[in-house]
Amino acid sequence: MSAEPNVEPTSLDPEAKAELDAAFEDLYRTHLRDVYSYAYYRVGNPHDAEDLTEQTFLQAYRHFDRARRESDGRPLRPWLIRIAHNLASNYYRDRSRRPQTSLENADPIAARHGTEAIAEGREELRRVMEHMEGLPDDRREALIMRFALGMDNREIARAMGRSDGATKVLIHRAIKQLQEEMGGDE
Amino acid sequence: MSEPSRISWDVEHLLNDALRPIDPPERLSGRVEDTLSAVTQAAAEELSSWAEELSDSELRALRDPRNWVRPVFAVGAGGAAAGALVVLELRRRSQRQTQSRLRALGTRLR
Repeated sequence: MSAEPNVEPTSLDPEAKAELDAAFEDLYRTHLRDVYSYAYYRVGNPHDAEDLTEQTFLQAYRHFDRARRESDGRPLRPWLIRIAHNLASNYYRDRSRRPQTSLENADPIAARHGTEAIAEGREELRRVMEHMEGLPDDRREALIMRFALGMDNREIARAMGRSDGATKVLIHRAIKQLQEEMGGDE
Repeated sequence: MSEPSRISWDVEHLLNDALRPIDPPERLSGRVEDTLSAVTQAAAEELSSWAEELSDSELRALRDPRNWVRPVFAVGAGGAAAGALVVLELRRRSQRQTQSRLRALGTRLR
């Protein structure tokens, strides 16, 4: 990889700067929900999820020009989620805590169902969330990206810095582990 | 063999339900936008005291946060360069003193 010059090529051109800001605003509006959802399921409470989301977009803004140039037109969502992932890792390191996701916190689930369905499905959802909390971090993160954000294997691979194949195996193993552990509850 | 695939579908179905995307609270978007504006505004204000000396294009470039790394590097590089000059000057003086002492010693020996 060649050394990047410190001078951003677009930084001296006001028109390019305006275009860059507009592109960042578009990125922000398109992916605010993705970043917040990821942060929420990683840290498990709305307050810290908001902090994490804010910090993610601040970092993204600082490096946006370079990221865009290096992306070769590929979607930037994996890059954004990777920033959130790194910040969340620091969050755990600094505070030595585990995620706090619970069914109560994840109650937007309820909005999708009628009252009866919630009553029937609540126990199953609670169990799957509890078992998710016990998964190794990388498996848990991959499942959040897949199911909460709807990312495909390639996007998840880019966000996690892994190969497509390794990501496919990771997700397969995560689901298998959940199956086995939930089966063991029976 | 049909049982595992049924369970597999169930787990993925449960994950789909449990891990729904979550809409950020309305206050969050305002908060992020305010923070981004504050970052750029603070930088612009900091620059305003000596901005008169700069041309418009230089000023615009300096207001861009992505260029802030350059002054930092410049200060760092400037500091390093100044330090190097001091060291060179001290060495030069030291060499001069050594040479004059050697000349004096040679004169005395002659």
